[in-house]
Amino acid sequence: MRCTIVPPYLLLRIAETDEPRLADAAAAARRALVHDIPFRTFRGVAPEQPSPPSAPGLQRTICTADHTETLPGRVVRAEGDAPTGDPATDEAYDGFGRTYDFFQAIYSRASIDDNDLPLDGTVHYGDAYDNAFWDGRQMVFGDGDGQVFTRFTSSLSVIGHELVHGMTQYTTNLIYQGQSGALNESVSDVFGALVEQYAANQTADAASWLIGEGLFTDLVQGSAIRSLKAPGTAYDDDVLGKDPQPDHMSSYIVTEDDNGGVHLNSGIPNRAFYLVASALGGFAWERAGRIWYETVTTHSLPADADFARFARATGDAAVALYGAESEEHHAVTQAWHGVGLG
Amino acid sequence: MIITVIRSGGFAGISRQWSVRVDEQPDEEQWRELLDRLPWDRSNQAPDEPDRYVYRVRCAPHETVIPERRLDGPWRELVERVQQANAHDQDGSTSDNVGT
Repeated sequence: MRCTIVPPYLLLRIAETDEPRLADAAAAARRALVHDIPFRTFRGVAPEQPSPPSAPGLQRTICTADHTETLPGRVVRAEGDAPTGDPATDEAYDGFGRTYDFFQAIYSRASIDDNDLPLDGTVHYGDAYDNAFWDGRQMVFGDGDGQVFTRFTSSLSVIGHELVHGMTQYTTNLIYQGQSGALNESVSDVFGALVEQYAANQTADAASWLIGEGLFTDLVQGSAIRSLKAPGTAYDDDVLGKDPQPDHMSSYIVTEDDNGGVHLNSGIPNRAFYLVASALGGFAWERAGRIWYETVTTHSLPADADFARFARATGDAAVALYGAESEEHHAVTQAWHGVGLG
Repeated sequence: MIITVIRSGGFAGISRQWSVRVDEQPDEEQWRELLDRLPWDRSNQAPDEPDRYVYRVRCAPHETVIPERRLDGPWRELVERVQQANAHDQDGSTSDNVGT
């Protein structure tokens, strides 16, 4: 067990469940709902993972919100400081470093703004908060409820995902609504996955293509939050339900919620990226990632781009980088065709 | 009178929904007092904050969308009360759905 605090998220569903395997969780959830259990937290054990050496220009600051919702909170680890022993703090610090290193080494990008913007993050946000987000200036991570979700820093792809929301803000600034919002989400998933693959030195065919692997506790029937390889298959749980992501335009979801389904329809461009990476083989960050990176950083993509516009832009980037009718150009064309676009 | 709260978004993108029948609540008067304080006409505009929650609150004829950052004051009180009332109410008059 890593962290258990008062669970707010999915709490009611858990409280109401008849699942025997979740009986203890359900009882705890019911107590938590009437706020009669004292706040408590169990410190987990950080995975064995050496801290990468600091690159020049890398400037990390990790704060703790001390389980409140006040940002940024109190500084617990600044650049160059020794590990604290608190897993959330050290995972955020290391994850920022690995994300910075990836963009520096592969795309010669200096931080999320390409001008060495300091990377700030707050951990221990809120009360058993089951979420992580980018607030326009910094990353914020909750501890999870310990029943459904573990702490959100435990997955490098999640940390990369949040940092890339920052990068998007400084580049295409894709409007967080509807198709442009789903593209904003997809860009974060794509590069979040690549940060993880680069850290593990994995080729496209060896990678899991999962986002948030290990974020669910063992009580949940699911391997991760999302799958780029097979959107809609990341989890299928009696309590949570099934991963709702579509993998093709024919199953595009029209909804007013979730800013117009930004976390749902992102499955479609996610799958397109996977198809490009899979067709080209090797390390996905080298050619597929380069095409996507050029697409989102050349400032030619409008902030309200829809899927079709984005698809054309990736085709243009492939031609600019590798030539018309190149293997890469064909892979991009085929990939979008494969998800029902073009 | 039914109050429905739908929470969508978040990193995981898993939607949740809670409903309460006000006239079946033992403390109906307090519910109505709270409902009278809700600023339905307030603008809830907020800058984009990727992966934060979005709340939709319905109580006919009213409906409003509130980004997590703006869920304060009586809105926060209402959402928390609706969630707690669902936890206590096991008679099937509530709904609680995951997904879309």
